[in-house]
Amino acid sequence: MKAAPEMRDLAHRLLTYEAGAGKSFEPMGSPTLCVYEKLRKSLCEFVGVAGFQSLATRALTLARSEVVSLSAARVTADGSIQGLGEIETQIDMDKDRAGDGGDILIARLLGLLRIFIGEALTLSLLRSAWPGEVFDDRNSENGRKA
Amino acid sequence: MSTQDKVKINKLPTGVPGLDEIVGGGLPEFSFNIIAGAPGSGKTTLAHQFVFANATAERPALYFTVLGESAIKMLRYQQQYTFFDPAKLPDAIRFINLSQAVLEKDLGAVLEGIIKEVEKTNPAVVVVDSFRTMVRKPQSDMELQSFIQRLALFLASWQATTFLIGEYAEDELRDNPIFTVADGLFWLRQTPERNSIVRKLQIIKLRGQDSVPGLHTFRITDAGVQAFSRTFGLTGHLKDPPSHRRLCFGIPELDKMLGGGVREGDSVLVAGSSGTGKSVLATQFIAEGIRNGEPGIVAVFEERPQAYAERASTLGLDLETPQKDGKLTILYLRPLDLSVDETMHSILDAVQKIGAKRLVIDSLAGFEMALSPGFRADFRESLDRMIFALTGIGVTILSTVEVDESFTEFPFSTYSISFLTDDIVRLRYVSIDGQLRKIMVVIKMRGGNHAKDIREYEITNKGVVILGKRLTDYQGLISGIPVHSDGSGSKEEPSMDTGIGQST
Repeated sequence: MKAAPEMRDLAHRLLTYEAGAGKSFEPMGSPTLCVYEKLRKSLCEFVGVAGFQSLATRALTLARSEVVSLSAARVTADGSIQGLGEIETQIDMDKDRAGDGGDILIARLLGLLRIFIGEALTLSLLRSAWPGEVFDDRNSENGRKA
Repeated sequence: MSTQDKVKINKLPTGVPGLDEIVGGGLPEFSFNIIAGAPGSGKTTLAHQFVFANATAERPALYFTVLGESAIKMLRYQQQYTFFDPAKLPDAIRFINLSQAVLEKDLGAVLEGIIKEVEKTNPAVVVVDSFRTMVRKPQSDMELQSFIQRLALFLASWQATTFLIGEYAEDELRDNPIFTVADGLFWLRQTPERNSIVRKLQIIKLRGQDSVPGLHTFRITDAGVQAFSRTFGLTGHLKDPPSHRRLCFGIPELDKMLGGGVREGDSVLVAGSSGTGKSVLATQFIAEGIRNGEPGIVAVFEERPQAYAERASTLGLDLETPQKDGKLTILYLRPLDLSVDETMHSILDAVQKIGAKRLVIDSLAGFEMALSPGFRADFRESLDRMIFALTGIGVTILSTVEVDESFTEFPFSTYSISFLTDDIVRLRYVSIDGQLRKIMVVIKMRGGNHAKDIREYEITNKGVVILGKRLTDYQGLISGIPVHSDGSGSKEEPSMDTGIGQST
């Protein structure tokens, strides 16, 4: 089963925002890592490190079923992700799958949150880490409501 | 010190229906409270209700989760309750997980973590769930006591109202320092009684204000925890000044026997065996009230409201229209694990909603059967509280009770509850002239004269109809087997009863 389109759209918005936020993601290495780290910070406070680590590992496992190259990535004990930067570089070189790895991992993580706590609370959590304009439908690639 | 010199303690709404009354109006602001109980007793739900009722973006609530239920699962389940407002997250309510500090560090570090968040957020409410898991690691008594003391002092100084949630056993009450420090101690219990589960809440301690003592039943529904005060609130409801008004049955001869009717605010017991017309009499009482502009409640346990109304229509009494007009409520209370307090709550709600003046409880036996087995044991006491509370707000109660017909005695009730009632009307079968006929007698009217007559009656398509004058030709009528005064037998042809109301 693939990541839900609404979650991919939401993930895409977050990634687009970070990519457009100038150099803010540069210390992290990529917009995906930047979004992931923001989620980690926000969710670790909420569910604890162990709670986030479990969710992230599950999200990575689900994402691997769509993007095989994510097999090289792994979630560490503190919930951070290793090996994603290198994979993203490779993926970018593959024109057919450009950017999908990051989108899908984030979409899977958001999808898990939606499954457990519902869309309203998921968006509430995201709104505490990103500005409201990110969730504005006008900024959606396909106009789909997140 | 005069009253105006005393510090005024603000009372915060608990967000739990019925609990504000139990805690004397609300929870003291800045108090340090414990919610204790076994798993599944409703501790977290109660805390959430308080949090959602009080948290604002300006003065938010901090909800610290520790080991045990994860915040994600907690929110997954808690958002099913109607009080849960997702818009309050994360600005007004913030969940913070302290598991790592608890697992990897000492209590000092945990306290530091709490202090850091509290200083940053300036919360009005702080919850630690579960506090028990936070202090489970081995440490000296002194260390634990010092931690609790510092935590309580800090949170009070920061003007936060605090709840620590813990799975404690009752035998820990004596030795655990947490209970000494706490300003309020809420104990939730759930106990199986035969096949029913009864939930009870006790306010073991509440500093600074009175609370209603004893065990209060509560229920967890999709609206969260709902508590039912065993005394129906600390302040209770003010008893209206005694009324001299008489409420009629609309049966002229019976009303005459009652000296003009029952006194408003009385508790009336109509006792008789099966088929004597108790429910018919009760229905006539309620219908007459509606005719006179007195809204009524009928609490039925043995048949559904529709059936009750349909049976009334066979007596020419329309109970459908007043229901539509908001003048009558027929409550069907039959979940089989009710507490008297819940029943009371339903009745009181209905009374207040339509301004009811008359209440029929049909019947006490059905009421008793609807209760959880544990509450049947103290049915009399519960009934006393209920009658006291309802008559206290001016409601006139008519209860029906079935008594076993005996030809050696004349019982008024199987519950020995006649002392709870102001007036008793006894219906019974009597064998006269080869027929099983019915007689009625007013046994007691507290505070008023009543006829001493024994009257024969029939149940017709107009309801209870009292026949002729008092029966003077027979001796020993109340025995059920009277003897004609002149010893002669009956020469009359047998007559037929209409059969209406025979189910009663």
